[in-house]
Amino acid sequence: MSNMVLGRYLPLDSKIHNMDPRAKIICMLCLLIAIFIPAGYVGYAVLIAIVLIVVLASKIGLPYIFKAMKPMMFMMIFLFVINMLVIKRGTMLIDLGWFSIYDEAIFQTLYIVIRLLLMISITTLLTATTKPLDLTLGIEDLLSPFQKIGLPSHIIAMMISIALRFIPTLIEETQRIMKAQASRGVDFEEGKLMEKIRSILSLIVPLFISAFQRAEDLAYAMEARGYSPENKRTRYKVLKLRGFDIFSMLFSAAVVGALIGVAILL
Amino acid sequence: MSITFKNLSHIYNEKTPFPSAALKNINLEIADGSFTAIIGETGSGKSTLVQHLNALLLPTDGEVRVNDFVIKAGEKIKDLKQLRRQVGLVFQFPEYQLFEETIETDVAFGPKNFGIEEKEAKERARYVLELVGLDASYLERSPFDLSGGQKRRVAIAGILAFDPDVLVLDEPTAGLDPQGAKEMMDLFKKLNTDFGKTIIMVTHDMEHVLNYCDEVILLKKGEVELVSDVKNFFKDSTIDSLDVQPPHIVEFKRQLEARGFAFDEDAFDLPTLVQSLKGEFDHE
Repeated sequence: MSNMVLGRYLPLDSKIHNMDPRAKIICMLCLLIAIFIPAGYVGYAVLIAIVLIVVLASKIGLPYIFKAMKPMMFMMIFLFVINMLVIKRGTMLIDLGWFSIYDEAIFQTLYIVIRLLLMISITTLLTATTKPLDLTLGIEDLLSPFQKIGLPSHIIAMMISIALRFIPTLIEETQRIMKAQASRGVDFEEGKLMEKIRSILSLIVPLFISAFQRAEDLAYAMEARGYSPENKRTRYKVLKLRGFDIFSMLFSAAVVGALIGVAILL
Repeated sequence: MSITFKNLSHIYNEKTPFPSAALKNINLEIADGSFTAIIGETGSGKSTLVQHLNALLLPTDGEVRVNDFVIKAGEKIKDLKQLRRQVGLVFQFPEYQLFEETIETDVAFGPKNFGIEEKEAKERARYVLELVGLDASYLERSPFDLSGGQKRRVAIAGILAFDPDVLVLDEPTAGLDPQGAKEMMDLFKKLNTDFGKTIIMVTHDMEHVLNYCDEVILLKKGEVELVSDVKNFFKDSTIDSLDVQPPHIVEFKRQLEARGFAFDEDAFDLPTLVQSLKGEFDHE
């Protein structure tokens, strides 16, 4: 579980790492929107080029991005097979009588695959270059305008950061409980269905109990230090937009605009 | 029938950018029926070492032999379940392993996993609960209603219930009150002397080492620093060279010796020490 790539932060030093998290989130949103603008080959070529440049600038390297895509491989293959069987438009490429492949099916699949790959790369770029804590700071700031309509942006951000903080702890806890139950003869890999259910129960129940216990302890510890979500709080880390951040946001917005233009012209 | 570690090494996260060597070339022998303490600073590899005993961790290099079982780098263990039945491992703060609705079923959970009939498993549960000091009135209660110390007893009973030959304890008394700790230690001693169980205990408490154990293994930064029997371990010549806080009685003796008293070197318990002290006064 420790070699999980999806959503992990890579502590490096690069122009992308040093960007303001708010700017990064905005850029990511813009690029994600851009993926879904039907601007044909040109659009995807532009987006792929942008992603490649950002990957290089972030120093995290292409292999890491590919590793993040691995879990999606199965889904892509599945999609490909389904499309081959279902889409029967365009020119026929292969005809075996009972089975034929049309070019439209291949293009459709290619589109979806490229979109998926771009989405994964862009989101991985955000999480790999931004500390979880900075990410939640960014989210909190971006959500703060919505406070006027009653959205508790600080509470949402606090919940996200606590959830992120406890993922490794819970993974560790799971391994600890699994080991303890394995010592009591539980076999997590083999066994009949009933035994399996029982062995999973022996993991889930203690895990929940300790998670609730932890939550309670954490709540008391926060209260003991005077935490209240309503209080006005200053921050240790003050976010500041710099020239490069503003440039990046404008550039991303411009990409979206340009692609919309291309889409209309097409 | 004994436990041997041969050139055992364990590296965590071996094939990642951040490997860390927890154990380096460990060679040890633990005799059948002994009560062995494993001591050392936090991070010295004690817990990693004991988790090899029932193959929860596998060696990166080298091997461990427990009775007829061989736990070796890159080799599948034949009959893993049987090994885990023979080596009972009680983790640090084992309370979290409780999950059943009643104490009886929770204690019977281990035996049932190892293929013991329901009825016999329940009988065993009753028996071991008695052994750890909880009477029959506890059987039908929920383990979650108990106090911390009682939960600990139930968790330990859950291991004793399948009657392992080797009992491995990772800081069994951590967080218990002194009275509860003493009762637990007395129980382990009883299991060792009356039932002939081999007991391996990770501990930080030198009083327990002195009063209950036969052998001491001191680990330091993943290596065996010293193996000794308890009496020699607490002699001035040995313990002074180590980074270990001696038990009260040793400290007491030392202070008196500094003021001109002379004692029998082997006097480590109160009666012998008093006798020896009395001898000193009679001289004068």
